[in-house]
Amino acid sequence: MKPAFSPALDPRFVLSLIVASWAWPIRAEEPLHEQIDRLIAAGDPEFERKAAPLASDAEFLRRVYLDLVGTIPSAEEARAFLADSSPDKRARLIDDLLARPEHARHLQHVFDALWLERRPDRGVPRGQWQQYLFEAFRSNKPWDQLVRELLAPDLKDPKIQAAAKFYLDRDAEPHQMTSDVSRLFLGMNLQCAQCHDHPVVDDYTQDSYYGIYAFLSRSYVHRPRGSNSSMLAEKAEGEVTYQSVFDPKKVTKSAGPRLPGGELLKEPKFEKGQEYEPAKGNAAPVPKFSRREQLAVLLASRDNAAFKRASANRFWALLMGRGLVHPVDLDHSNNPASHPELLDLLANRFADIRFDIRAFLRELALSRTYQRSSELPVGVDESARETFAVANLKPLSPEQLAFAVMQATGWTDVERKSAKDPNVLYGRLAANMAPFVAAFGTRPGQPIDGSYEATLDQALFVAHGKLLATWLAPHPGGNLTFRLGQRTDPREVAEELFLSVLTRWPSDEERKEVVQYLQDRSGDRVAALQELTWALLASTEFRFNH
Amino acid sequence: MRCAYACGSADHGWSRRQFLTGLTASGTLGLFGGGFAGMIHPAAAKELASAQKRVLLIWLNGGVSQLETWDPKPGTNTGGPFRAIPTSVPGIHISELLPHTARQMHHLALVRSINTQENNHAKGAYIMHTGRREQPGMEYPHLGSVMAKLLTAPDNPLPGYIHITPRGDSGFGKQDAAFLGPRYASVTLADGKPPANFSRPEALTDEADQRRNQLRDRLSQRFAQRRRTAETEAYSQSYEQAAQLIARKSIFDLSQESPRDLERYGTHDFGRHCLLARRLLEHGITFVKVSHTNYDTHYDNFDFHLEQLGEFDRTFATLVEDLHQRGLLSSTLVLVMSEFGRTPTINRNYGRDHWGSAWSVALGGCGIQGGAVVGKTNANGTAVVDRMVHGGHLFHTYFRALGLNPHKNHYHNQQPIPMADPTASAIEEVLA
Repeated sequence: MKPAFSPALDPRFVLSLIVASWAWPIRAEEPLHEQIDRLIAAGDPEFERKAAPLASDAEFLRRVYLDLVGTIPSAEEARAFLADSSPDKRARLIDDLLARPEHARHLQHVFDALWLERRPDRGVPRGQWQQYLFEAFRSNKPWDQLVRELLAPDLKDPKIQAAAKFYLDRDAEPHQMTSDVSRLFLGMNLQCAQCHDHPVVDDYTQDSYYGIYAFLSRSYVHRPRGSNSSMLAEKAEGEVTYQSVFDPKKVTKSAGPRLPGGELLKEPKFEKGQEYEPAKGNAAPVPKFSRREQLAVLLASRDNAAFKRASANRFWALLMGRGLVHPVDLDHSNNPASHPELLDLLANRFADIRFDIRAFLRELALSRTYQRSSELPVGVDESARETFAVANLKPLSPEQLAFAVMQATGWTDVERKSAKDPNVLYGRLAANMAPFVAAFGTRPGQPIDGSYEATLDQALFVAHGKLLATWLAPHPGGNLTFRLGQRTDPREVAEELFLSVLTRWPSDEERKEVVQYLQDRSGDRVAALQELTWALLASTEFRFNH
Repeated sequence: MRCAYACGSADHGWSRRQFLTGLTASGTLGLFGGGFAGMIHPAAAKELASAQKRVLLIWLNGGVSQLETWDPKPGTNTGGPFRAIPTSVPGIHISELLPHTARQMHHLALVRSINTQENNHAKGAYIMHTGRREQPGMEYPHLGSVMAKLLTAPDNPLPGYIHITPRGDSGFGKQDAAFLGPRYASVTLADGKPPANFSRPEALTDEADQRRNQLRDRLSQRFAQRRRTAETEAYSQSYEQAAQLIARKSIFDLSQESPRDLERYGTHDFGRHCLLARRLLEHGITFVKVSHTNYDTHYDNFDFHLEQLGEFDRTFATLVEDLHQRGLLSSTLVLVMSEFGRTPTINRNYGRDHWGSAWSVALGGCGIQGGAVVGKTNANGTAVVDRMVHGGHLFHTYFRALGLNPHKNHYHNQQPIPMADPTASAIEEVLA
């Protein structure tokens, strides 16, 4: 039998006390999430006055579910968490969620939309791509490796050749690839620099654009004869020249492969006729030296500061609702990070832990910064959200919205009864994402970042759409309105309703409202329960991750 | 004379032609009643009440022939069988296939010197809708989305851009708004029918809907007390907008127009669709596009144009005249265009093929100098010989006609994007 834990006698505790008294200069032991909180607080002299308290358990619970597994908890899960009085329950929940397959599904949805921007399928069947992403996040593939695979897909390895979809769905169009690679992986929106130096951003020059372009301009889509498949291919030749549309003299410049601020790529020379590997079947010839492969190696590297910053900032924004560099694709010297020291720390630490996505997200989620309430303290204005003293509101993505609505209405439970296999269940639920993407998603080819809009057709989709109406109608499989219909006490109805849809208990006022509503509509209780559920689903509180 | 508040078309001021020919609506004699108030034309009086400007785009899908419409070349090797006829503007002749339109010529201007250098349907359509050539990595918004954004009052609950198509599916979610965002995308009314979600499900009564929305609103208000942001506000407003749209749903209901009007417009699809367009413009929709199909006449060009333009001509002329009579033309820019024109050379199937290098569009209404003709093709229409313009010039011209500055930028994620092609400029000669 182990002796009872006694902090006073525990040598580790004594040691930590000693360390604590010297803690200021010694930070090696300070966990990343604490460093985050310290640097966030240091970023604003008035931080203590502005900072919101920690979010309530209910607020935290809904937030962390949406952020880590892409949906809201069931009423049962919510009850259990809210009733749990152990002090480490938040940390345990974070670990629990990160270990679930739904976490990988959520990241699959996030990066599918972010990287492909909802373009129509041009190459690689969608299912294969989704499975590839799912496996990558499920196995916690290091971030840099994942990005390298996207930038230079190994077409011989069947496990990762689906990564070619990133380029194929863009028709391997060099300008499209250049613009998107720099925006998505370097945090630099170089769009303007295609035609001229950026008019507002000094750092975004036309030669930085064409330096990246030169890595990609030799890539193309090969369509083997007699087959309707598309394959990514590359030439061994082709140099890049460009002019500025603002240059009255129309001087033609040339560009070699070079990352912004980096050195010109050194390339081996081959004798004429020796540039390609021997051809195989009807596959496209493969160059002995691939500029695209060099891009992957140089870009997705811990030696590339821009990549590290953009990567850390991306995951930060995913959880915090706003980048330290904001917008996330405008990292340049005139748009400094809100907390420069913190961004440097996160960038380096992410690289130090070998770009371990799950470990990085865990630290972010453990921080008090992440766990603060989104309610503005009295006398504090909205700018406190920009410095992370108060949590930001995040509109649910179309995928989060679809899964959250299915969970809230109990449709998930109905489907779960007939689909025991989690993959089968996922397949059935995921089939309902399309109409949400159509109503709430960006149009194909439009960037996902900063794309929130509230539109008429979304409201009409929620108000009049058949899909929601189906889920709201009582279903003997046990959806929410069916369950509510079986309860006779209107106060219990209110509690089950609020817990299921908004992941919190109703206030006294709200309890009364529900009771009153049911009284007023006592002639048609079935309809009244659907109306009540609809009102919660259509409320702003549901639409946002807060 | 130009009024600072209006777009500067002839209808605002006192046009000499209107005075002399008595084309204006009744009541103009009040002019002589003395005083400034009496100077205001009834149409302009309506205009004062509603400063909104609108755009009507008639899209002749497939590529209408300039030789059978705005730039006939009778008696030449390319001219085909049809004659040219005089119009209400002395000296301007158009194809005899457009007799009704000819009588509206004083409201219209022609640009006969378009060279877009594009013979592909999709690419040509892109140029004519965006004023740019396709550019990899950059998607520009269509004119309808741009104008929906620039001309629609923020509190107008109606969609800013409606596209009436001959068939297909009604609905939202078109890509035409590009980076301007889905709010400004077109709403398609296939065969004039609104999308299904415009109607409340039958099981839901008006009262129940109001009740559930009151509860939604209370919850949202409570949530927003200490979490109000521009985004939460926009979300709540989208439900207000939906409610207001439902309340005004009848503006999409063509059955409320008189049978006599339907007769005047023609009982064919295009007739009904143009009558609906009038109804929508009258009720505050900013941009209405009506597609008429199909002009892609690689075979039997002349028979098909006779048939298609037979529908187009009377309907279009009726619509222009009605807009004028109702005082809307002065604030409504009217455009008739296609993705390109058709080859002067007549192929062996008596057809004409795709032709982007020397063709025409017609403009009218707001800000347009009625009766103006700009540009010229050679004797048999095979090349532009004067004032060559492309889609970029047209785009600048639309802005100017509507009193907007084409040299401004859109801002997308803080990036400036010129609203119109900075290397082009407006066609001043068609502007009033």
